Amino acid sequence: MEKKLKREISELDEIFNLIDDFFARQKLNDSGVFAVKLAIEELFTNLVRHNKGGGEHILFNLDVSNKTIVMSLTDFDVEPFDITRADPVDVSAPLAERTPGGLGLHLVKSYVDDLNYEYIDRTMRITAIKRLEEKDV
Amino acid sequence: MFEIWRDEEGTIMLAGKLDASQAEKARAFLETVTESCTLDFKDLIYISSAGLGILVGVQRRLGETGHALKITNLNNHIRELFKIAGFDFIFDIE
Repeated sequence: MEKKLKREISELDEIFNLIDDFFARQKLNDSGVFAVKLAIEELFTNLVRHNKGGGEHILFNLDVSNKTIVMSLTDFDVEPFDITRADPVDVSAPLAERTPGGLGLHLVKSYVDDLNYEYIDRTMRITAIKRLEEKDV
Repeated sequence: MFEIWRDEEGTIMLAGKLDASQAEKARAFLETVTESCTLDFKDLIYISSAGLGILVGVQRRLGETGHALKITNLNNHIRELFKIAGFDFIFDIE
């Protein structure tokens, strides 16, 4: 599945519908839907809010093979920023020490099995891989 | 689709998906909360870091005056998310 998304947070509804349709079409158990939606939302909103430059669209790809979901977001004509190297978040910190930022990427890293960053010729691609459990297939 | 309202007993009800596109709606409502209260997640099916960030902000603000949020009826996905985010340490979860 491939879809051009506008560089707008309001595209999240469309993204969630695409993910629901994908799981239904592939006859996958929807127990994995939450993790895929969360990973894509966090990555997409990160690109929209923080990537400098950027064209009108971000390309969203979602595929499954060998019980593995591969999701990617490709952003064109942007400056490099490797989100996989973002500072870790201390989720055991007390309330007073909690700071905004970073939590979304912490969640993504917790929910997916692999997270890859590529940057070539001003094109950034973030790929997240989620291996499905037997109950999800 | 996301809805937030206060029921007749004073419990704040959340329903639908609290994602980044709905975060301002949740923030605007929760900014009006000034005392301890319960958030009922019975009909909340999804929340992301955008919603979690708002909850932390409210909890911190209420804590300054000795108040706190209590959260009830989390579904299994959101309960797991709270654990991964370390929110089970900073919220009273039932």
